[in-house]
Amino acid sequence: MKKLYVDEDRYGATPANLLVETVRNAVTELARRRFDASAVDWPQFVFGVSDQLITSQDFADIERRILDTGYRFGWSAVISQRERPDIYGGADELSADPAGFSFEHPEAATGEPDSNGRAQCGFGENVVRRPANAVGVARYVRSSDRVIEYMKSGVPAGTIAIIDDSGGTLTAPILEHFAGIVCAGGTVRSHLGILAREYGIPCLMNARIRGIRDGDRVEIETSAAAMAAEAYFGGEAKLARVWKVVR
Amino acid sequence: MGSTGNNAMSHSGISYPQLLETNNLMQNCGDETFWLCLTRTVQGSKLFPVSPYILLSYLNAFYRYPSLLRKIEARLPAEQIADRARNMGMKIQNSALGWALPNFYLLGRELLLSLGMLRPQDALEDVIFVMDFWKRYMLSWHRNDGHITNREFGHRAQILPDRRLEVFHRDLYECVPGDSLHTAAHAFLAMASQYGFLTSCESRISLTNSGPYRLDDHHELIVRDFMDLAECSLPWLDGIAADVPYNYLTVPMSVRDCHFTIVDDWGSFESKPDFTAEHLAGVGLYTSDALTEGYMPVGMASRDQLIATLHSLHGVLKEATNKLWLRIAGWTRDQMVDAGALVYYNIIKDLAHVAGVFEVDDWLTIDRRAARFRPLLNDEFAGQMLGSLVAGLDLPNHQQSPYVMMQHSDRPARTYTPLPYSVLSGEEYVPSCGPIQPGSSHLDPKVDRYRTSAGTLTLDEYNRRARDFTPALCTDKYRFLCETWVKYNHHTALANELYELEQRESRTLRGRGTGNRPR
Repeated sequence: MKKLYVDEDRYGATPANLLVETVRNAVTELARRRFDASAVDWPQFVFGVSDQLITSQDFADIERRILDTGYRFGWSAVISQRERPDIYGGADELSADPAGFSFEHPEAATGEPDSNGRAQCGFGENVVRRPANAVGVARYVRSSDRVIEYMKSGVPAGTIAIIDDSGGTLTAPILEHFAGIVCAGGTVRSHLGILAREYGIPCLMNARIRGIRDGDRVEIETSAAAMAAEAYFGGEAKLARVWKVVR
Repeated sequence: MGSTGNNAMSHSGISYPQLLETNNLMQNCGDETFWLCLTRTVQGSKLFPVSPYILLSYLNAFYRYPSLLRKIEARLPAEQIADRARNMGMKIQNSALGWALPNFYLLGRELLLSLGMLRPQDALEDVIFVMDFWKRYMLSWHRNDGHITNREFGHRAQILPDRRLEVFHRDLYECVPGDSLHTAAHAFLAMASQYGFLTSCESRISLTNSGPYRLDDHHELIVRDFMDLAECSLPWLDGIAADVPYNYLTVPMSVRDCHFTIVDDWGSFESKPDFTAEHLAGVGLYTSDALTEGYMPVGMASRDQLIATLHSLHGVLKEATNKLWLRIAGWTRDQMVDAGALVYYNIIKDLAHVAGVFEVDDWLTIDRRAARFRPLLNDEFAGQMLGSLVAGLDLPNHQQSPYVMMQHSDRPARTYTPLPYSVLSGEEYVPSCGPIQPGSSHLDPKVDRYRTSAGTLTLDEYNRRARDFTPALCTDKYRFLCETWVKYNHHTALANELYELEQRESRTLRGRGTGNRPR
């Protein structure tokens, strides 16, 4: 069988991710087979016959072979899981009852109520240092359905939005009405962090929290030092606390 | 140039200096891409399948940029388009030209290399051409600061000439937190930024910042551009953005007691302390496009008019945001992936608008060679593969001799595979991936309506007018009257004429010419 040019690689390594390795191996094997069967040399193959010989159906077959092992892909966009629940795992999280749902991060620092009646439920990275902490009512905003609900009814005053999407689009129509944001992902330079800074909304990113339910009264330590960008490249991370106000 | 087969070429048309320079440009792009992706962003979206659309856009860029850039250059050379870019705020700045053009293309190449579907010497003349086009563009666009990228300048962008900075500076309206202008400007800036992330399908490519420029010991000027706001070459804005009166808006901002330490090739910034609204001390508002004589003031006749304009634009953008969000929320995954892939891939489309050669099939479809990869682009694979391409550098093609210590990480890896010099000693190569092939899209077809400074035009009319138009400052008479020439010839009638041209729409400097003494 003919070889691919990249088959002889003095320094090549195995990709760190198993799915990437699996797909890469499958595609290179496909390219090798089609090149071998093509009866042309590589210059005629690469931008000539390969365009017809390596097809969308071939790639669909690779996906099917992976799924046939029982593997299910992780999803990042809700639409992906909703349209093809057969190929994506983790559907349970989408259908969880919002009233009973809470983020449960294993690294969340928690504590007993202090003298002010605040029990720590975790911490996050402060986008901008403000004169005072933000206090409000926690409301999870994790789906388009919730956004549409608030577009119709209005965002309740004093809402501290609890979000797991560090992007700036899911909450676009309602973002400016939040009294605060706790995002369980991203960094202070993620789009949500950038927009919170633009709007002047108190915001903690990359929050590791647990035990906060919809409707809980919470306080976020936006008076803490802001997370410096260089902290993401080996510097010291400064963290801001998140409390549930229990009395 | 000799041929060793139907598609293979021997080396005779390629020179050693060409390869050396191309590889240097690629290495610089790779080093910066690694740094940007590691330190400047972590993105996720539950609304958009971001990683799948990014990979699709890279593939489309690889297969199409060489042909489309040649088509553009046949009408207007890269360096002349950059001359125009230096005098307006279209989407041919950062991150479009400073980063995306070479890196989208090269990341597509690297993706195909990683899958065994390409050799380092395949599409070799395409790679040389794309990088050369980029280099010439960037040198021209950055000619006032003398660098090729913000990275090379220590992450700073001083694009504008003295005459334009003088107008931006003198025409600013001062503001302080709590006053009407500050409140209106703050609200507009946040809303326009928010709208931009949405129109660009969860990417930051429709806004950019350049500068900083020193105003005095306590103030720096930062220039922010908002792009693709109205009905334009993003089909999902058809109808939605019909009431948005400008497709491009430029906001010069005076910022008090805040030093910008990084303005990167993505058009993002860092400052000490953080630039929050409390530091905003002055603001202006302008529009421009391929048909304007540079920057045209918007609502700048009076302070009250500017406040009213900013309020009005805020309302219009808020309305458009809500409508667009609802449209997007009803999309299928294929539509979301296509919109994201297209807005990413066509990030450089304004090159075609300036040259007057924009065509819908070129910029608003996915080439069938790229489209065939769709079944592989599930969320997980795309996310992991994207991570490997830009930051992980753990694919076989990334690995180098164990003695190598790459910039920023000391690992034996590199982001981009260099072109092999062995082609100069006879190893065959394939020059090009060939012309663009038919494409497709799951989105509604583009309505033939484009908001310009000359009103809403059909594409044919927009292209025709763009081809027929050269801004006065970019004509042969003025084009090479550079900052060095002005330094020593400011007393001449020609210098005065040059400054008066820039000042035609200025509320404070009109007709002053070079008579305004430097600060």
